[in-house]
Amino acid sequence: MINLINRLKWFVGLVLLQVLILNKMHINGCVIPFLYIYFILKFHSRASRNELVLWGFFLGLVVDMFCNTPGMNAASLTCLAFFRTSLLRLVTLRDVDDDFEPGIRALGVPAFLKYILLSSALFCTIFLCIDTFSFFHWNVLWIKILASTLATMLCVFCAEIVGGEKL
Amino acid sequence: MRNLLNFLLKYNHWFLFILLEVISFVLLFRFNNYQGSVFFTSSNALVGGVYELAGQVTGYFHLKETNEDLMQENVSLRLQTEALREALREYTNDTTAIERIRQVALQEYDMYKAKVINNSLIYSDNYLTINKGREDGIREDMGVISGNGLVGIVYQASDHYSVVIPVLNSKSNISCKVKRSEYFGFLSWDGISSEYAIVRDMPRHSVISLGDTIVTSGHSAVFPTGVPVGIVEDISDSNDGLSYRVKVKLFTDYARLKDVCVIEKKGRHEQEELENRARE
Repeated sequence: MINLINRLKWFVGLVLLQVLILNKMHINGCVIPFLYIYFILKFHSRASRNELVLWGFFLGLVVDMFCNTPGMNAASLTCLAFFRTSLLRLVTLRDVDDDFEPGIRALGVPAFLKYILLSSALFCTIFLCIDTFSFFHWNVLWIKILASTLATMLCVFCAEIVGGEKL
Repeated sequence: MRNLLNFLLKYNHWFLFILLEVISFVLLFRFNNYQGSVFFTSSNALVGGVYELAGQVTGYFHLKETNEDLMQENVSLRLQTEALREALREYTNDTTAIERIRQVALQEYDMYKAKVINNSLIYSDNYLTINKGREDGIREDMGVISGNGLVGIVYQASDHYSVVIPVLNSKSNISCKVKRSEYFGFLSWDGISSEYAIVRDMPRHSVISLGDTIVTSGHSAVFPTGVPVGIVEDISDSNDGLSYRVKVKLFTDYARLKDVCVIEKKGRHEQEELENRARE
């Protein structure tokens, strides 16, 4: 129960941070730091795929309601949530059944960086590819994906250092 | 049968995943085609309320710039009024003429003041949310302008909030003309910079040069003639070579848009009805 309340607090906090501050930062008009994916990245390693996918979908949907992009964040985050378990297995050498919370303490800095790099890249690629349906500028798309992935990584890493232990 | 059930149970996460993705894409494509999904946008009451609250807080940080803009605009308008008054006095000796012209210019339009409470610039389809809705008289397809010039068109309205399609959206298509020579084309966005838009379908024989001012044409019944849009920055050939493609630097700075005005032409519905009937 306490766990659920704690999780809801993070849910609301990350949504507000994302829509009120991070989405308003337009660095060159092409960089969006998607910090709210941190919510999905911090789920325990044994969390079931169904649980992850449902949380991902609803978190994405709430962010969509704020950004007037119905379906875009929901589709991308559901996809990230679905592949999260596989990504985690890819970067860690631990036993599959081991139950731990992905973070610097459990994974170590190099593996954690690899984990957030792969996750951010996956999310940003899906999101920006859906976004670009309206206009095809390949060069702009590549730059956007690269820049947003790096910005997302940086934000997630900072969040992990500042408050990651408490989730 | 048991095998089928086992199969379904074993791969249930795949089915859930596919189901949620399908729902997401239905929402995505429905919103692009259909204007009814107020619940899933920032014109819904909860989301609008959060943005309004945040806007009230951040509004204080921009008061200085807003005041400076207003003062500048006030001064230029005052100078312009004075010059026009002088000119009019030279041509006519009728002292009530100015008041009459002012009344005629405004009586054709209903105006509603509103505040921008949410704004995006980074997507391919950007939207603005304003804090006025149906109860304040806002309806779909009304025009939105700011002190500097054109902003966009109302897309959805709930009871207290509305979502506006600004020029910075792939759906935006507004009829514009060159102020000096009256040749017209359609203003749209190429998805690159929030400071520039493109006027397409400008005829090859049109008289146009760098630095010309682009204004709304007034053909669409959404905007009056002459709402400032921007300045011509570059002229090139369109892909098919049949018309000009004009790059326009927009007067409206979308990154710090706060106060806007929603306008509606009286008798607009009559004009639209007539045009629709003619098309059928």
